[in-house]
Amino acid sequence: MQIVTNNPLVREKLQDHYAVDYAEGSFGELLVRVRDKAHLGYRLLSHPLSGSVKPNETPYKSVLISDGPGALDVESLTIIENSILTADKFPVKYPQMSAKMRADFQLIDYTLLQSAL
Amino acid sequence: MKLELGYIDIQDIQFSEESKIANGVLYVNKDEIQKIVLGQEHIRSVEIDIARPGESVRITPVKDVIEPRVKVEGPGGIFPGVISKVGTVGSGKTHVLRGSAVVTTGQIVGFQEGIIDMAGPGADYTPFSKLNNLVLKMEPEEGLAQHEHEHALRMAGLKVATYLGELARNVQPDETQEFETYSIPEGMEKLKGLPRVAYVLMLQSQGLMHDTYVYGVDAKRSLPTIINPTEIMDGAILSGNCVSACDKNTTYHHLNNPVVMDLFDKHGKEINFVGVIITNENVYLADKERSSDWTAKLAEWLGLDGVIISQEGFGNPDTDLIMNCKKIESKNIPTVIITDEYAGRDGSSQSLADADALATAVVTGGNANELITLPKLDKVIGDVSYVERIAGGFNGNLKEDGSIVVELQAITGATNEMGFNRLSAR
Amino acid sequence: MAQLRIVQYINQFFAQIGGEEMAHIKPELREGIVGPGLAFNQAFGDEAEIVAAVICGDSYFNENLETAKKEIVEMVKSQSPDLFIAGPAFNAGRYGVACGSICDAVKKELGIPALTGMYVENPGVDMFKESVYIVSTKNSAAGMRDAVKKMAPLALKLGRNEKIGASAQEGYIPNGIRVNFFEKERGSKRAVDMLLKKMAGKDFVTEFPMPDFDRVKPNPAVKNISKAKIALVTSGGIVPKGNPDHIESSSASKYGRYDIEGVMDLTADTYETAHGGYDPVYANEDADRVLPVDVMREFEKEGKIGSLFHYFYTTVGNGTAVKSAKKYAEEIAAELKKANIDAVILTST
Repeated sequence: MQIVTNNPLVREKLQDHYAVDYAEGSFGELLVRVRDKAHLGYRLLSHPLSGSVKPNETPYKSVLISDGPGALDVESLTIIENSILTADKFPVKYPQMSAKMRADFQLIDYTLLQSAL
Repeated sequence: MKLELGYIDIQDIQFSEESKIANGVLYVNKDEIQKIVLGQEHIRSVEIDIARPGESVRITPVKDVIEPRVKVEGPGGIFPGVISKVGTVGSGKTHVLRGSAVVTTGQIVGFQEGIIDMAGPGADYTPFSKLNNLVLKMEPEEGLAQHEHEHALRMAGLKVATYLGELARNVQPDETQEFETYSIPEGMEKLKGLPRVAYVLMLQSQGLMHDTYVYGVDAKRSLPTIINPTEIMDGAILSGNCVSACDKNTTYHHLNNPVVMDLFDKHGKEINFVGVIITNENVYLADKERSSDWTAKLAEWLGLDGVIISQEGFGNPDTDLIMNCKKIESKNIPTVIITDEYAGRDGSSQSLADADALATAVVTGGNANELITLPKLDKVIGDVSYVERIAGGFNGNLKEDGSIVVELQAITGATNEMGFNRLSAR
Repeated sequence: MAQLRIVQYINQFFAQIGGEEMAHIKPELREGIVGPGLAFNQAFGDEAEIVAAVICGDSYFNENLETAKKEIVEMVKSQSPDLFIAGPAFNAGRYGVACGSICDAVKKELGIPALTGMYVENPGVDMFKESVYIVSTKNSAAGMRDAVKKMAPLALKLGRNEKIGASAQEGYIPNGIRVNFFEKERGSKRAVDMLLKKMAGKDFVTEFPMPDFDRVKPNPAVKNISKAKIALVTSGGIVPKGNPDHIESSSASKYGRYDIEGVMDLTADTYETAHGGYDPVYANEDADRVLPVDVMREFEKEGKIGSLFHYFYTTVGNGTAVKSAKKYAEEIAAELKKANIDAVILTST
């Protein structure tokens, strides 16, 4: 199991215990990164639209995927593709977000992820 | 299991020396309320206010809405496992302060949501504009962690609702209504020939500000199970969900679950309302598979002829909804699902994040992305400066004349997925 | 409020000029009311008036699409109307396509709101429901009264630039735009009522049709392709030169079956396309580009496939109703089965 994330809090808290694949980037870019991995045969373990905080409302997202690539998992691919389509409907709101709010969104994403660990 | 609800109609709430109910008016002693709220660990201060239907008042950001109730006969107490001791509720008699609610507000995290307008166009979209609301605006101790903050607000709201409910213990109800479900053999016998129908109630269960509690148990830590509809009327299911204002189920929604009420309406006449299957909406995909396997298994095991499935929240619960629908339909049990839509501001995008051809019967609570202009109201309880930041708001949506443009998703209960409202879309 | 000026488009039949034998007539502008305009004017009362009708034969319109559209748009423009109404076309396929295309053109080129009416299975519906408001009508002209009753109020709203409600309220065919409105009953009650109907096997209408999942499960792979007898079937309109069976360039009412015994290559002299929905130059130059007979013959010779079936089947997919396409496919499939075909290559455009 590994964590694909753009959330610095997740990297900080979990990198000593789990394989964390961290890269800076937008919510949308994170989903695309997950999709690319799905195409390589990684299986999704958590839902990319976890939580009810709207995509692009929050800048942060962490998704659990399988350790090594296997055969292409169509289910995983369908879920991530649908998630990208859904996320694209929401305007990006975070460019001028305060540090406090960023911290809150990081925390929410972290607890959502924790509930799946 | 049989429960009698005694409705005491509350026409108004007023502050007074003594807390009591008289002639349809709920009189509230502010000091006592303050004592209860401040008695809750971690809460530093509270402002107590009243918002009545038609008043030019906006409440925001709303956390939960709770209807005061009290158990007057039968085992257990209201909100079991959280306020009252754990013990099976759902039988005997319960008094309801119909037409009133406790509304909690407060800032747990920087992004906030949930607007209740008591007047104007926004009032048409939230059921809580029709209630007399006692509003608690609470501030926490400095530096309190978010999950403790959420817990404190939730508990304070429930305690105040319990206190108000207690005032109705010896009041003569204006109207009573009986609800009875049968054990399996009893139902088979008494309602022979009527189609057996159950309700699959999906509960949000994903983490901080996304949780639901059943007899005090965090729903994400439980497998799907069966509950009597009357247990829900006594507060067996409580909301800890503060995200996605338009389609989260508040505690008020659970207590007054509209699917439960409308199934009871046909119970014994056109259907046999067998019971409620509660299931969760977890983050982990394997959990989603397991839980939906389980609901389908329970549906089959109960020998059902039909199922209504309701959803809570946005995005990934669409996947749970479709899994539940698909797996139950695959057992040859017809389903109707209730959801809402995120079809974009212009209504042209794909509405759901998941779909399946077996979902042939869908009821929708409307497009949550549709824009609405809310005019300036005279009074704001809470803080309107959060409005730009709430889900469904956006930069520059606060106009010079004080009006705000938001998506419907900012309004508490607007596109409820239990089918609480008349709003729909085509 | 000033009376709205409306121009209406109708075909030769509704203008009482004649049936199929008069379908070739060119566009003509007549001031005043013609045919169904009377019923509309009565429904409008003082609020709107049909000031002129544009009449055009269905064959002329569909065979001269671009010129016909241009001519008609000019005629509409000359009347400077506030609103344009076409039809209703009921279940008449070519009339429906004409109504849809001309509404679309009037809307886009003149910026005038436009409205038409059709039966839900009219091929014009699938082609234009997303660009033009199409009121759902009955399937024959006997439903004129009902159609006028639904179209007139929506026409007035469109003409006055008022907010258009949801399809279920206004009576238009769902156009992919979701619009909120308040139902009479709350959602839970609607769900219970829907479940009662669904359990009893009665008709019910879902409030959100799932995206179209008309997916076909792939068959298992052909075991031994080098022994397989393979047929070619196309919706790309490839026909022997001269289109002997007159397969229509759009909304095809038939399919053709042609013998290619001994044909090694489709050439510009022997084959062409009947399809009106794409640039035909490259298909006419070398029809193998749509129906790969040449390659199949090579494979046959090299032993890569067993043999090529001596018939190919063809129709035009352009605007052809799904229902018709299904019917053709069922007939074709039955023949292929009878001929013991192992596999089929389907080509489109």
